[in-house]
Amino acid sequence: MKPALIIAAGEWRFWLRSKLGVAALILGFVLITTSLVANSARVGAERASRDSLQTAAEETFRNQPDRHPHRMVHYGHYVFRAPAPLAVVDPGVDPYTGTVMFLEGHHQNSATFAPAFSGARAGALARLTPAMAYQLLVPLVLIVIGFASMAREREGGTDRQLLTAGVAPHDIWLGKVIALLGVSAALLFPLVLAASQALFAGESFVVTTTFIVGYAVYLTVWALMIAAVSTSTRQLSTSLMALMVLWLALCLMVPPVVASFARMASPMPSKIEADLEVAVALREQGDGHNANDPAFNRLRANLLEQYGVHHVEDLPINFRGVVAEAAEADLTDTMNTFAEKKLAGEVAQARVQHWLSLLSPQLAVRHFSMTLASTDLAQHHRFTREAEAARFSFVQGLNRVHAEQMTYTDDINRSRDKGAEQRTRVSAENWRVLDEFRFAPAPASDRLAGSSLFLLVLLLWAAGFAALGRARALALTEAAHA
Amino acid sequence: MLSLKNELWLALRDRMVQATLAVAFILSTLSVIAGFAAVSEQQTLIEELERVVTEDRDYVLTQQSDAGGAAYYSYHFTYDEPSALAFAAQGVRSELPWKHRIRMLAVEGQIYEADTGNPELALAGQLDFTFVAAVLVPIFLIVLLHDLRASESRGRRLELLLATAQTSGLFRWRTTLRASLLFVAIVLPFLVGALIAGSPAGPTLAIVAVVAFNVSFWGLLCHFVASRLSSGPTVAATVLGAWFVLALVVPTGGKLLVESTVSVPDGGDILLTQREAVNDAWDLPKQATMEPFLERYPEWSPYAEVERPFEWKWYYAFQQVGDQTVEPLSQSLRAGVAKRDARMASVAFLSPTLLTERIATAAASTDVSAYQRYEACVRAFHAELRAFHYPMLFGVEPYSSEAMEALPKYRPCTGGDSNDG
Amino acid sequence: MSSMAIEATDLCVERGQARVLSDVTFSVAKGDVFALLGGNGAGKSTTLLTFLGFLAPASGEAKVLGQDVQADKKFVHQQSAYLPEAANLYPHLTARENLDYFLALAGVSQTPEDIEAALDHVSLREDARGQRLETYSKGMRQKVAIALAILRKAPILFLDEPTSGLDPVAIDEFNALISKLAESGTTVLMVTHDVYGACQVARRVGLLRRGQLVGLFEAPEGGRISPDEVHQAFAKEHQQ
Repeated sequence: MKPALIIAAGEWRFWLRSKLGVAALILGFVLITTSLVANSARVGAERASRDSLQTAAEETFRNQPDRHPHRMVHYGHYVFRAPAPLAVVDPGVDPYTGTVMFLEGHHQNSATFAPAFSGARAGALARLTPAMAYQLLVPLVLIVIGFASMAREREGGTDRQLLTAGVAPHDIWLGKVIALLGVSAALLFPLVLAASQALFAGESFVVTTTFIVGYAVYLTVWALMIAAVSTSTRQLSTSLMALMVLWLALCLMVPPVVASFARMASPMPSKIEADLEVAVALREQGDGHNANDPAFNRLRANLLEQYGVHHVEDLPINFRGVVAEAAEADLTDTMNTFAEKKLAGEVAQARVQHWLSLLSPQLAVRHFSMTLASTDLAQHHRFTREAEAARFSFVQGLNRVHAEQMTYTDDINRSRDKGAEQRTRVSAENWRVLDEFRFAPAPASDRLAGSSLFLLVLLLWAAGFAALGRARALALTEAAHA
Repeated sequence: MLSLKNELWLALRDRMVQATLAVAFILSTLSVIAGFAAVSEQQTLIEELERVVTEDRDYVLTQQSDAGGAAYYSYHFTYDEPSALAFAAQGVRSELPWKHRIRMLAVEGQIYEADTGNPELALAGQLDFTFVAAVLVPIFLIVLLHDLRASESRGRRLELLLATAQTSGLFRWRTTLRASLLFVAIVLPFLVGALIAGSPAGPTLAIVAVVAFNVSFWGLLCHFVASRLSSGPTVAATVLGAWFVLALVVPTGGKLLVESTVSVPDGGDILLTQREAVNDAWDLPKQATMEPFLERYPEWSPYAEVERPFEWKWYYAFQQVGDQTVEPLSQSLRAGVAKRDARMASVAFLSPTLLTERIATAAASTDVSAYQRYEACVRAFHAELRAFHYPMLFGVEPYSSEAMEALPKYRPCTGGDSNDG
Repeated sequence: MSSMAIEATDLCVERGQARVLSDVTFSVAKGDVFALLGGNGAGKSTTLLTFLGFLAPASGEAKVLGQDVQADKKFVHQQSAYLPEAANLYPHLTARENLDYFLALAGVSQTPEDIEAALDHVSLREDARGQRLETYSKGMRQKVAIALAILRKAPILFLDEPTSGLDPVAIDEFNALISKLAESGTTVLMVTHDVYGACQVARRVGLLRRGQLVGLFEAPEGGRISPDEVHQAFAKEHQQ
């Protein structure tokens, strides 16, 4: 057998014999499993309930009685965002974003009801999703198991014994790394199970595999970091302290500091300010409910000319419907400009954070994981845009019905004339303009492309710690006398 | 005999002690500064929004010719001011709304609107004084205390020391000294901050006390473990394991348990029901709206006849009826959230970390009950708005732009009082 | 190839700025036992570490079996066994497991019978062989380390203060074991400050003082070096 493998096997035997190693390993498994079971139950229930809520909302809309189409524009519709299959492992920003959106004419509502709203508050660290378990806690478990790997040999002097037994220093180091990678692989097992569950729920095979590989690389970064620090320290105590400080800095301190920095580097107005800005801009535009608004004079003139008539009453289509359609298009244009500005602002903040993920492998793996799982900011934005497209489509569909299926005269007289009121009620058949809304994760290729950069960052960290650890191990021959 | 001066000198000469105390002091200072920045940002935002919303309302009101339009287009800015201790504990203010732009439409459709900003940044959490004092204190103590006894033993001084010190409490004494140094390093920046912010003495002392409690708990735990295990790293890893369990596993487990035992209505349901009630009203006979409304507000019965297809009083009545329809759901949501919070208070007795966080956020009025107080305050203000507009909408008083000058003004609620009065 | 197993030629070693060995020259023939004597800081351990390749000489040469140590550390490690002062084996493993482990790493295949034979050879109590080393006395751990050297069939043995901290019986046992190994052809270089022990086993004794070799004693044919003579020289050197 290769010396490195013998060293690795020896390390495993040491862990199995030391209570600390076994206790840490068991604790790690219990945590991962608990978080997975709890989270997959929650996500499963959410997927099921959001699907049925979506179907129910669509049925309710289509089953509305015959009525004036503009009433349906205000009646509105709901779209629900079902979590992506890999949300079982990483719910990403889902707990912080709304999951329901109300769609209606003339307004762009924001998604409301983030799950965090009614959740029990359990302090800063109680966001125990499987992703958090792997990103924050498994490294800690690896530290407790592995801080002694080389420091123990150096403190006990067995490193010299190994070297004089003819083992090459880099083989000792490699053996320790392999041993830690073995633990990581064992701890990854529940993730593989959960990811295959996502595979059955329809996730792409390449995405699922890459997802697992990414976490494997992340744990490799920690295994290499632990080996490097343990090799560089002469005392067990120093090794453990150094690793704890590194963990604290990389996992608990850097992320909030980076987030604050992103907020400062790329500030955004509050929602109320932004809403007000939209309201002021819209005030300048015509009111689509009022066909006599001077804003629509030009539209009227064009139509009259097109159909060669002199009065709107003589048009073959309902002018009020045409106005509603044109006004909605203008309004949507303006609202979209502001909405896109907001999304761009968020993207700019996120980009700062993405670049700064060079500072911590935990940030890198977090973005990698969310992007691949389709639970990141980009998918929230996709949901916002798709919901807006759905809104615009059904509202304009109804406005078309408004323009084509009744006369202008009936329409303006409907609040006075019972007969006209009856004639402006269109058949419920028309409520079928509503498309089915099913929100699906971003295409696999997009997610793979988006996450590849973060994977690269992780590989850089791994390479760095590998080089450092190996260099420190090679220096052992020189340092062993001290 | 043990001398404070000698032991202090000994402790402060230790490089590990120097480094840890320095890091703790710097982090605590930074967290206090960051807290001040966040609070001042919130205050600036409040002033700014107060100004722009008022300006906009003043402009919009000049364009209105009737009571209905005036009520429809005039928005009011409501907010919950950060307390004088909010710099130390951000609490739920980053997740739950503390400002709303409210108008006289159904309140249930407005009060869940959250402005949590960029969700990807929210995920990172925040670094405030409470985080340092509750979560990081145990880590600092582990670094300070794990090797206290073991290093003497390694240096083969242990027996000599114990024989010379003539007291059984040598390590207890050293532990107390180092823990006290840490306590001072962490609390000092907070006290300076509290002094600058002019925080009230009671809540400030509550925070100091709970930090003292947290430091003592983990100090005692370190001492207990160190006196039973001989190797420094084993002591450290064991206390770290305890931290893992008490700071993480217990709160998370408690959260899961509480959320599964105390159910709350789905937020989506509330919105759906409320919208449906409001939307359906357009097609229902006017009577179907006015009856439940008058049941709640019988004083308007004499003026409640709706003659035309559209009348503002009917419009606002069905807004109110929409709220009334979801009242049971909405109340059970509030009750559920309160109950979950009360259960978490019990869970906190099993986790010193959570207990510290809860007491600090309670002292800083940034906890769930402070949010619920704000929510109640907004509801009360909404009721006040309706009480102001109803006489004009029902035609009891004439509409005039001068009358609108008496529009109720939102005042943030403190403690028990609200906008009812 | 030289007939010398261990050779130091004008060996100078520096640690930091300080010169800790200067112009040390000696050699040990195959099958000989050579003891380097000296007080604290005389450069004894430095000499050993230089031969093990852990320290590089500033000038001069250290050769093992004719091979320059710095040129091929791996060869030296294959040919030699090293016994540090505090026999450093794994406390969480038993004697048998420790031997198994290190032999596998050294690439030496030995049967369980060979291992038992080696443990017999160093006379480690049979009932102790399945117990973890953390329960062993220092002498017992020393025995396991020597058993390892025997099993590795290393022609050269480096010993660092092998008898310090051992009780008189254990010292006698140890010295007898070293003599036995030398008789079977193993070359031994030991550093120690135990004059009497050194004279008991070594055919030649070198005296180190402040990094310089200041005396060399050789046993007469069939006899032993007189400890008194060495002791006097040792004491005299120390008075200066």
